[in-house]
Amino acid sequence: MAALLLPATLLVLGLLVAPMAMLFRISLNRYDAAQMMQEALTAENYLRALADPYYREVLATTLGVALACTLLALLIGFPPAYWLARMESRWKSLAVILTLFPLLVGNVVRAAGWMALLGRDGAINAALLGAGLIAEPWPMLYTTGAVIAGILAVVAPYMILTLSAVIEGIPRGVEEAAANLGAGPLTAFRRVVLPLALPGVAAGCVLVFILCMNAYATPVLLGGPQFKMMAPAVYDQFVRGTNWPFGAALAFLLLVVTLVLTLIGSTLLAGRSRSR
Amino acid sequence: MGTLTLDGLSRRYATTTAVERVDLDVAQGEFVALLGPSGCGKTTTLRMVAGFVPPSSGRILIAGRDVTRAPPHGRDTGMVFQSYALFPHMTVGENVAFGLEMRKVARAERDARVREALRLARLEGLAGRLPRQLSGGQQQRVALARALVVNPAVFLLDEPLSNLDAKLRAEVRIEIRALQQRLGLTTLFVTHDQEEALTMADRLVVMERGRVRQIGTAEALYERPADAFVAGFIGRCNLLRGTPEAPGRFRTPGGALLPCLPQQAHHGQVLALRPERIAVATAGDGLAARLVAVTYLGAQTEYHLDLAGTRLLASAPTPAEGDPRRALAPGDAVLAHWDPAEARLLPAEPGDLPDDPT
Repeated sequence: MAALLLPATLLVLGLLVAPMAMLFRISLNRYDAAQMMQEALTAENYLRALADPYYREVLATTLGVALACTLLALLIGFPPAYWLARMESRWKSLAVILTLFPLLVGNVVRAAGWMALLGRDGAINAALLGAGLIAEPWPMLYTTGAVIAGILAVVAPYMILTLSAVIEGIPRGVEEAAANLGAGPLTAFRRVVLPLALPGVAAGCVLVFILCMNAYATPVLLGGPQFKMMAPAVYDQFVRGTNWPFGAALAFLLLVVTLVLTLIGSTLLAGRSRSR
Repeated sequence: MGTLTLDGLSRRYATTTAVERVDLDVAQGEFVALLGPSGCGKTTTLRMVAGFVPPSSGRILIAGRDVTRAPPHGRDTGMVFQSYALFPHMTVGENVAFGLEMRKVARAERDARVREALRLARLEGLAGRLPRQLSGGQQQRVALARALVVNPAVFLLDEPLSNLDAKLRAEVRIEIRALQQRLGLTTLFVTHDQEEALTMADRLVVMERGRVRQIGTAEALYERPADAFVAGFIGRCNLLRGTPEAPGRFRTPGGALLPCLPQQAHHGQVLALRPERIAVATAGDGLAARLVAVTYLGAQTEYHLDLAGTRLLASAPTPAEGDPRRALAPGDAVLAHWDPAEARLLPAEPGDLPDDPT
């Protein structure tokens, strides 16, 4: 068995650990406009990223959007996840495929669709103007709301399928027992279904949070030039600014913040599901 | 505590009828068992009482109140599920306290009642455990305690013993019955195991394909079955097809004339005769029969008889050493005798008779 794990282990080492190690090494180098970078062992890139108000704001925006999207995905995703988990008809596999359907469209293509919908001359504004409900086009594109909506549409299927897998494991009988003992639907949900679904909530939130933190195409296309999240900022440094050491530092900052928050969040949720 | 009344209760699905016009009155403190083969509608009936399945027509009254349209949480029934359905994330104590919490019982009283319920269910000292840390029998008792602690108007049991091993099942049977009688619980119990129903219930409801075939005490069902299905389902019974001739005479297809209870011929076309009511002898009165097989079962011996082409099963306490019947072997000629009052004509529906009456 152990021998069979070798190819995968080599793949992870070669394609994930090695590039990460190289990236980390680069982040400790010094930027030099003439020769791109100088070999060094300095923390100045990290210090700059943390001190610069611009990048602090980019990080804050990223965190805000990711947290908002995670919470909204949880709230919006729970009802369909429950419905899907409790579905008994032969249409169930079709419903699962339909849930996954949005993921068949690439992020860029999807964002283009949102642009056609939300833009100044987009479908919504055209309809509202045509109906005489508004006099001026309503600015929807290039707003935080547009970015959140766009990311939400990408991550919702992940949340729904993760939750529904866990809810499926909750026997119907315990819900019936709660009702039989006098619990109304809301109480039964709060006292029985939700606590038993917490592992799914934790897994879904972690997965979605990581996807949101690293969103690239959606914030670029729907947020516009003024709106910055971390992943596009890293791209800017590498490709536009050619400042690899600083870009690498930003990338690591994003990685560490995501990792720390994920660990804190899942520890809290795991603790709750154990004690309750 | 209260009474339970089912009034023309039916549940129809698109292509099938699960329960067809069930009428039943369960008195205060009475233990009634719904008994029947799988798919007979007994579980659907119980789930309609609990409120998990909406009836297509008919009414359900609990303690005189019409609860037909009430949600499950507004019915005041205490149900023990086949799977127990304990809350896996709550301790035994929290499981048992749940119903009291929902009824907003004050903390001190709640704790006292939970302690008392755990004592009754012999679960003292396990209040802090999680369900998964308990044995199957203990989990079953938690489910009982959880349903009983709220003092429900009607106690519902859905095959609660089917997940226990045989030895434990016999013990728990007696325990549940004792608890039910001590607390005076109005109880509806679903089972497919006739022995369980016979030993526990005051009255039995025999169901088949969604309909009630007969309601009565164990003795009434055994001694005076309403039809061939009940006769064959409760205990063992020889069920013979043939033609009623004169009152008190039944003609088998093979031509033998069997004595039976004088009844109107239209009463039925099937003759029902319990194996232990047939005496097998080597001399004296009786119809001549040939022994096909003898099965020694210790206390009992079974005789498979051929009576002019008709197969009959007789059973009797194993004769003493030296009794000529002790030496009977297949092929021997014997005499079969029974009191005509023990052989009754019963109506039968298609499918009521198993191919082999034994």
